[in-house]
Amino acid sequence: MVKAADAFLTAMERELGAETIEHSVEAVERYGDTTMPSGNRRVHAVLLPRSTADVVTIVRLANEHHVGLYPVSAGHNLGLGTRSPVRDDQIVVDLGRRMNRILELNEELGYAVVEPGVTFQALHDELVRRGDKLMISATSGPPLGSVLGNALDKGGGYSPYFDHFGTLCGFEVVQGNGSTIRTGDGSLHNDKLPNWPVSKYTFGPILDGLFAQSNFGIVVRAAVWLMPRPPVIRTFHAIFEHDDDIGSIIDAIRPLKLTNFVPTLFRVTNDLYAIGPEERAENLGRQPDARDISPEQRRILREKRGLGAWQASAAFYAGSEADIAPMLARVSSHFRNKGAVRIIDHAQAQLIHPLLIASDSFSGRPTAAELTLLSWRPGGGAIWFLPGTPMSGRTAAELDVLARGLFAQHEFDYIIMHVAGARFARSLYLILFDRRSAEECHRADACYRALTSAYATRGIGVGRAAIDYHGLHMDLQMPAFQQTVLAIKSALDPNGVIAPGKYGIG
Amino acid sequence: MTTADNVPLSVRDEVLAIAASCNRFGLCISTCPTYVLTQQENESPRGRIELVRRMFEKSGRPDAETVAHIDSCLSCLACTTTCGVPVDYMHLIDRARAHVEANYQRPVGERVLRALVAALVPRPWLFGLTLRAARPLKRLARWLPKRLKPLVDLVPAQYPPRSEPMIPGTYAAEGARRARVMLVPGCAQQVLAPSINAATVRLLRRTGCEVVVPKGFSCCGSLTLHMGRHRQAQQSAQVLVAALRATEAAEAIDAIVINASGCGSTVKDYGHLLGNSPAFAVGGRRVGQLAVDVTEYLARIGLPAPLPNRTLAVAYHDACSLRNRQRVTAQPRALLAAAGFAVQNIPESHLCCGSAGTYNLLQPAAARLLGERKAAHIALTDAAVVAVGNIGCITQLARYCDRPVIHTVELLDWATGGPKPASIAHIDPCPAIVHTAEQLPSEEAIW
Repeated sequence: MVKAADAFLTAMERELGAETIEHSVEAVERYGDTTMPSGNRRVHAVLLPRSTADVVTIVRLANEHHVGLYPVSAGHNLGLGTRSPVRDDQIVVDLGRRMNRILELNEELGYAVVEPGVTFQALHDELVRRGDKLMISATSGPPLGSVLGNALDKGGGYSPYFDHFGTLCGFEVVQGNGSTIRTGDGSLHNDKLPNWPVSKYTFGPILDGLFAQSNFGIVVRAAVWLMPRPPVIRTFHAIFEHDDDIGSIIDAIRPLKLTNFVPTLFRVTNDLYAIGPEERAENLGRQPDARDISPEQRRILREKRGLGAWQASAAFYAGSEADIAPMLARVSSHFRNKGAVRIIDHAQAQLIHPLLIASDSFSGRPTAAELTLLSWRPGGGAIWFLPGTPMSGRTAAELDVLARGLFAQHEFDYIIMHVAGARFARSLYLILFDRRSAEECHRADACYRALTSAYATRGIGVGRAAIDYHGLHMDLQMPAFQQTVLAIKSALDPNGVIAPGKYGIG
Repeated sequence: MTTADNVPLSVRDEVLAIAASCNRFGLCISTCPTYVLTQQENESPRGRIELVRRMFEKSGRPDAETVAHIDSCLSCLACTTTCGVPVDYMHLIDRARAHVEANYQRPVGERVLRALVAALVPRPWLFGLTLRAARPLKRLARWLPKRLKPLVDLVPAQYPPRSEPMIPGTYAAEGARRARVMLVPGCAQQVLAPSINAATVRLLRRTGCEVVVPKGFSCCGSLTLHMGRHRQAQQSAQVLVAALRATEAAEAIDAIVINASGCGSTVKDYGHLLGNSPAFAVGGRRVGQLAVDVTEYLARIGLPAPLPNRTLAVAYHDACSLRNRQRVTAQPRALLAAAGFAVQNIPESHLCCGSAGTYNLLQPAAARLLGERKAAHIALTDAAVVAVGNIGCITQLARYCDRPVIHTVELLDWATGGPKPASIAHIDPCPAIVHTAEQLPSEEAIW
């Protein structure tokens, strides 16, 4: 394997030049860093392509030498694998370093055509520079995350354009077999393609989905649709006092989203998710022998920050404050009737730091403020567990009891946000642990597996997964699904050169 | 108790604890100017943290490569604004610089340059004298030793016009006194742009502040601290602590106002800088608690009413020390807007302009690239002038920028009744631009 990889690198250098290979030992080592309990990976080399043509050459040579490539975009997938390959000794293809151009920005039709290295911050900054007429759908993850990478890994935002994969249109993909295809209206055999960035549904099968959470090819460009920025954006936050209010909250949100009365998704954060970015667990003082914080400590934190066991946050978009006032009054009354102890309006929220993250998220402004949640516990270990719930209060409440119990059983602090829409809420559980402790790593791994098993038993899978668990989740899929995926892999990447093992494929 | 290479153990422990707090998420690297320029791991904060950790773990002389990577850090602290972990990078790099200074023998030319900078710049009278004497050298720049050229480049082609001298003393409030503040007059700033202090005093007096300019004080220690001259920086800090004591012997003050944000970052951190000094630790903490940037203070007490027809389109440049260290970004913009200026943001505002204290003297190549990059972004705005809160940035940007660069306070002073700054004397005021939803063109008014 190493011999083949070295021969591949020699051929690479000959065809694309030395500058296409990262030569710094320190830099290459960092590509193997993760936040996973299993530790870091060993990376053989890092490639830095400049263009689609470079990617085509890399894939061709990988096929000739039978080496495994591991493409990354910006490489900030924290808690899910960062930029590290799933397996040791793969060759990282860093698309973010030099393929980071905004190829087109069409303010009339509201889209940008981007390469994989274009970050949320970069796209936002460019839109601001052009007058702030359009806005991105921001995540609350790293501002330097890749727009394209996030969408292809099925990431999401909070605005009406929250479905990041759904707002991509028209890919260019270098497949594992070396051929390059265009999807959507770009698939026409023509050089002029006016509908490529605006229409997905041209004649023939819709192939775009093949390249989300797969390892069949390397997506090197796509259009992302952008929403016109509303003149006035005003958040509101319904505060609930009790852990078991989650069912009422979900039931309260459902009609607001089914009718689209509220245009954004809802961020339903528990106390530690909301307050965690501002606090450190080790500063609270623990009960003797306790490894997670006590209910009393949570209560003190909530009082200190003026928040509740749950906060349901969303936003209205309008032309003026006056337009928003009646909507806000109606939604406030709605939540009060469902048990909210108070409603925090946009102006009040500006003084409550944890709620500013929601404000930025609904406004399409990238923010790094939520990232400090990762240091709630020391040691840098983090795993996201990302199942979901139908927007039924009873089911959400049952799942909450289940997950809360498993976190307590494994002695981890319960950190959870539901991102709620009309029919479904994605649940973002965060397991934070100290990677320096083998015992904590073992416990974190056991906690993740217990959660996965408990949810799978109830017929619930995950939307995304950390690299330690790609195989685990693929094994939970029905056999016919797995066989179909492998058949597609064989057809599009017969030598298995693209990210072997990623998403449990190959 | 020290290690073999004379590192006091507490410093070593502090550095290693900071280094250990980095989880190597890598969120910092893309915001680091030197990483953006070079794309090298060891030119990023994450790489430097690892190098510094190794330097402190092993005894003996630091290696030249490590020193070069530490020297090339701007201390802009952009890395600290994007990290998921609160890594105290500022103190780590300051400690690393002091360690290099104490344990590494630089080449002769570099030692001479550093000694000159550390001796001249913090002493306004000597710095001023040197600038005047050095002006003829500008014409001879091409024949000078390469390392000295950046120093000569700094010499203004024209000496700044004489302004109201900043004589130590007490300047009475106009009208009823609302507060009593001490002004830190800065060192290089007094020489390079005396108009800034004059405007600051006028503006503060107009807001009802009695302004005390302390005697016998010049440099806050920021310049020498960032050159690794920790002891010299502490001595400067002690002078300011003593000046505060002397000032407060008569009457307590409400704030220490600083109008050079590079100084502000250091002064606010005197509690740490003087933390191990029994005689000055308490005073250092008090200075740190009282210290505010002038825009922070003006935002707190309110601006006098602006006069009509004194507005311009202004591009506001965030000095790293204000944006990344002090986290003061909203106040200067809000003040300028309240004074009637049409404030524009500069693209890529998180990236340093290359000034960074003495950086443009000691690392001129990288500083030039960053200066040119920032100027190109400024050129994309419609602004007539650039407003900045730090003399270092003003000096740096003025070299590359196609329009006047001026201190925020000078604009606020002019807008509220002060004289028009000389550098914008040729620019006609424009009406303030106010966007509301109702004024947007019809297509956007769909909302």
